[in-house]
Formats: sequence, structure tokens, C-alpha cells
Amino acid sequence: MCQCCAEKKDIYLPELATVMDAKAMNVTERYLRLAMDDGPFDFVPGQFVEVSVAGIGEAPITISSSPTQNGGFELVVRKVGNVTKAIHNLNKGDKLGIRGPLGDGMYPVDEAKGKNVVFICGGIGLVPQRSFVNYVLDNRDDYGEVTILQGTKEYDQRLFTDEVAAWDKRDDVQMLETIDLPDKRWKSNVGVVTKLIPMIKSELKSAVVLVCGPPVMYKFVLMSLEEHEVPHENIFLNLERKMKCGVGKCGHCQINSTYTCMDGPVFRYSDLATMPEAI
Amino acid sequence: MERAFISRLKPFLDAVAEKMDLYVPRKVEGHYVCERYEPGANDAVELNAIRACTPAKEFLFPLRELAAVFPEAVEPKEVKPFAVFGLKACDLRSMEILDKVFTEKEFEDPFYIARRQAMFVIASDCSEPGESCFCNILDGQPYAESGFDLNVSQVEDGYIIAGGSAQGKSFLAAHAALFGDVPDALLAERQRRRDEVRNQLEKANVDFELRAPVQEIVERGYESDVFDACAATCVECQACTRVCPTCHCFYLYDTAQTDYFAKMKMWDSCMRIGYAAVAGGGNPRKLLGDRLRHRLMHKFAYFLERYGVDMCVGCGRCVDAEAGDVDIRVVLKRLSDELTGKGKAVANKTK
Repeated sequence: MCQCCAEKKDIYLPELATVMDAKAMNVTERYLRLAMDDGPFDFVPGQFVEVSVAGIGEAPITISSSPTQNGGFELVVRKVGNVTKAIHNLNKGDKLGIRGPLGDGMYPVDEAKGKNVVFICGGIGLVPQRSFVNYVLDNRDDYGEVTILQGTKEYDQRLFTDEVAAWDKRDDVQMLETIDLPDKRWKSNVGVVTKLIPMIKSELKSAVVLVCGPPVMYKFVLMSLEEHEVPHENIFLNLERKMKCGVGKCGHCQINSTYTCMDGPVFRYSDLATMPEAI
Repeated sequence: MERAFISRLKPFLDAVAEKMDLYVPRKVEGHYVCERYEPGANDAVELNAIRACTPAKEFLFPLRELAAVFPEAVEPKEVKPFAVFGLKACDLRSMEILDKVFTEKEFEDPFYIARRQAMFVIASDCSEPGESCFCNILDGQPYAESGFDLNVSQVEDGYIIAGGSAQGKSFLAAHAALFGDVPDALLAERQRRRDEVRNQLEKANVDFELRAPVQEIVERGYESDVFDACAATCVECQACTRVCPTCHCFYLYDTAQTDYFAKMKMWDSCMRIGYAAVAGGGNPRKLLGDRLRHRLMHKFAYFLERYGVDMCVGCGRCVDAEAGDVDIRVVLKRLSDELTGKGKAVANKTK
């Protein structure tokens, strides 16, 4: 929402968007490319939108595409409840409501310039991280060495496989992938994502590290980063909460004194010291 | 006109009700509730001794309201001017707290603002503290000095009505014929009465006096067992947050009507187990004690940090409404004792 129309606007009113493309990624995840019906949509990697299905409800979803790529913006939605189930029924040409982009806690796109960047993703954690990954790759010269670690539970749950393969082929990216419970089709690393951390070639101590995945992953990744002496100021985490109003009022996404929808969803690890409920 | 004297309330209330809907306090089963005033009828309104048992937020942020109509936007309905008589100092403080949230720059709530602007606030002094009143513990007092359009103070033979806003003062001026002058002796009597009620309040709450700033008490008690212990009898009725005049958490939900879709806003409660649960199944506040702690931390630490004031006015409504016998005064007192007493909470801090 631009500043000029923010003033007298109903903060709870979604704006119309159209599904430009939609496809199933696997049993539980659906990919959607959207375009706002009315005007452009500017955002920074890490920001989220409230996706509204008329008459059903709203769900907060972090944007998966990079603002450097034109033609709308992309979301990946896991089917977990009523609203996400309804989102899964949407197809090309369907309308839905969008509020946002929301959240002042974005990926450190400027701060990371000139530094090594390490993405650590667990499962669906790749989805929001992908926004910043592609942002970095589209501005490749601005950043140091780029490392992407992806851990997935099972082979069929892997996301954006073509894109991941393309990243893997690049000379200027170290792409490492692991599967926890592999089958015969998988010929690479086995285990959880933390197993990949010692394999990072670039210097980790001075890198900006972005972490997104299931809650249990944070604990172990942070322990490992601690061993590698990564300063807490250089670690950024996505925190998932039930952002309901998205504008810092309803209270659902509160983590101690912080509203995830306003101050997050990306947080600097050193800022979580005063937020015991965070992890 | 700064202030005026009137011997009976009725002519004053009738004059207010000529211009707008007026809500007045009525005693029902020992508690005050707000009801619509009927000017024509023989309506005897009695001045409420303390705040109503229902919160003032009901007038500004109703239990359930329309938040948006989709896909066509809806302007907030023009709210007719209305007046509420008998609000107390704690109510006025609670509205100032809600203002901070709902009139926050960039994220203004148009529905709240429309009601707030239409509200004519007629406050009155408390005449006898209620059993659960503890505003004095939180720097409050049983009478208001600002935040009202008009304020009514009972004196021996009638009432002093003071104007607090331009609108209030012009009301007094416009109805000058109804009123008499206020001699200094009457003001002295008002002060005497106010002091007396304040003394009663202080005496009644002597056992709940806190020995450190309340923010420090809750923050340093964060790891204390007091929250779990005090929440042991909680039955999760959520009444504490419903009647609280400053609690403002809400739930947004969608409904489908025949020709449009509506987004509704409804009061919610952080004491509810599913309140903070996330899609992945995690819940950062699974235990009742976690939720009681969050409620108190929000009131006395987080809100203060964000907006510069406490989010509790000491009205005691939650104490009256609780089905599970959780008394916020007792929780604070136990934390305070722990902090200043044997030093257990201090030890937690340095752990």
C-alpha cells in the first residue's frame, strides 16, 4: 500500500488481485503467481501479504519471488487449514484479495552487500528465502560468495527443483542439498540440514546467515552457527506467527513485546535475546 | 463557562439528551451497567458510586463489528453524536490507552476514530471505592482532572459540573439558565470529598501496595513460579480480558453474505489456548501460567515499551468477573514480595 493512499484507507480492506498462474508443486504445496488488479506492487524480500479468500478467511503468506523479477509476485501455500485449502482451489484467472506488503522486518538486502551470504533452509523454508536468493543472484556483483543449504524430509517434498538445479550449475553459487529420509532416487547428502554446515566453502564467521525452516531446526542450526563463531548480529531468522490483522493491533502474532507483523517476520538473532518466546 | 452548579441531575441530563443519545448508569444486581436514557419518561438517574461493570471500550470498539466489505469498500457509517454519563477517571484513562492503539499514525482504525469523535464524555467522581478498585496502586485517582467534556462532582445540595473541553464549556454556556454559580466553599467541599474517597481507597488497598515500579516487578519476575501458581485456579473463562477496558486483542474473520463478503472484527482473548497457536501446530504459550504472564507482561512492560503508558488502570473489573479466582492485585503483590523479599526473583534475573 503506498503512503499517499494509506491515510484514510480501511486498514482491513483487501485489494483485488488475479491469479496469473497456478500449479501444484506436490501433494501439500501449491504455487501461485499473482498480479494486483490496480497498479504496481512494490516489496522487499522477506515481506508478507495477507491473502484473502472472500467469505472464507485470510492467511499470512511470505512472498516467494524477488522484486527484481517482473510480472507479478509469487506465493507458495501449504494446505493446512480452511483458508489454505481454499487457496489451493484457485486457478488461473481467479480473483483473490491481498493486503500488503506487510512487515518492517525484511531481509537485510543492503546490509549484506559486499559480504558472503549463506541461506539455510529447511523444507518449506526455501519458499521465503527464495525471494532473497533470487534478489542476490539478480544483483550478483553486489554480494560476496553465495551458499545455499537446503534440507528436505522426503524426496517428493522438494520444491523448485528446476531452480535449485540451475543454482547448482552456477559457478558463483555453492548449492548443497540433503534429504533426511531418502529413497532410491536420491544420490546425494543424507541427513538434516545442519550436516551441511561444515561443508560450506566460504568464510562463515563474517557471512550474513539467513535461516528459515521448522521451529525444531532453529535450535540445532543456531547451535552449529555458535560453534562456527558466527556473531548473533549476522544471523537472521524468519519467525512464523499467526499474523491476523497485519497492522500491529490484534495481538495474535505478539512475541513478548514484539509484533511479528510489524517488526518481523525476519528478525536479527541478537534482537531475540529479549524475546524468550521467540524460539 | 468553566464550571456550574445544579441541584438536580434530571434537567442537566435532559438538556444533553436533547442533542444526542445519552447512556446513563443503572444499578442491576449490585453492579452498574450503561443504558439508554429516556428523556421524556420519569427517569430517575442516580450517580454511580464507581465505574460500571462493563468497560467503556464497548462504546468505541464493540464486541463484534464490520471491518471491511469486499470487493467494494465501505466507508465507516456516520456515527451519530452520543453521550455517556458516569464514566470514571479509570474509564477515561482506558480510552486514552485505546487511542494509542487505534489512532496510531499510518495504521488508523477508521471505525474506532469515527466513534471516538462522536462521543461526548461526561465523567463523574467516585463516591465510594468498590471492593476491587485499585487505581491508586497504579497512579490513578478516584476523580478525573482531564480527558472529559464535562465532569460531575456530587456535593451536599447538588452537583458541580466542570467543563473539560471546548465542547463541554460551550454546552455549559449554552445552558447557562439551568445553572448557578459555584462558590469557593463548594469547590472546597468537592476537594474534601475527593480526598476522603482517595483515603478510603488507599486504606482498602494497603495490602496490595507494591514496593517497586510495576514494570520492574513483572520483568524481573518473568521466570517466577507465581504465574503458574496463580493460574492454577484459572478456568480459562476469559472474562478478565472481556471486561478489561484496555484489552483490545481481536480476531478478524470473513463471512459471505448474499451480495457481498464481509470481514468482521471480534474481541479475542490472549487467555484462550488457541490464541497464539501457529499453523505448524506450535504454541508458544501452552500453559495457563504462560498466558497469565503474557497478559501481565503486555499490560505492564510491553505496552509501556511501545506506547509509553501502562495498559492497566486498576479498575478491578477483572477481579469482579473472574470465575477462577485469579486476582491481578494478588499476582502483582506476590511478584513484588518475591522481588523485594527473599530475593528469589532477583536471583532469576542474574541466572
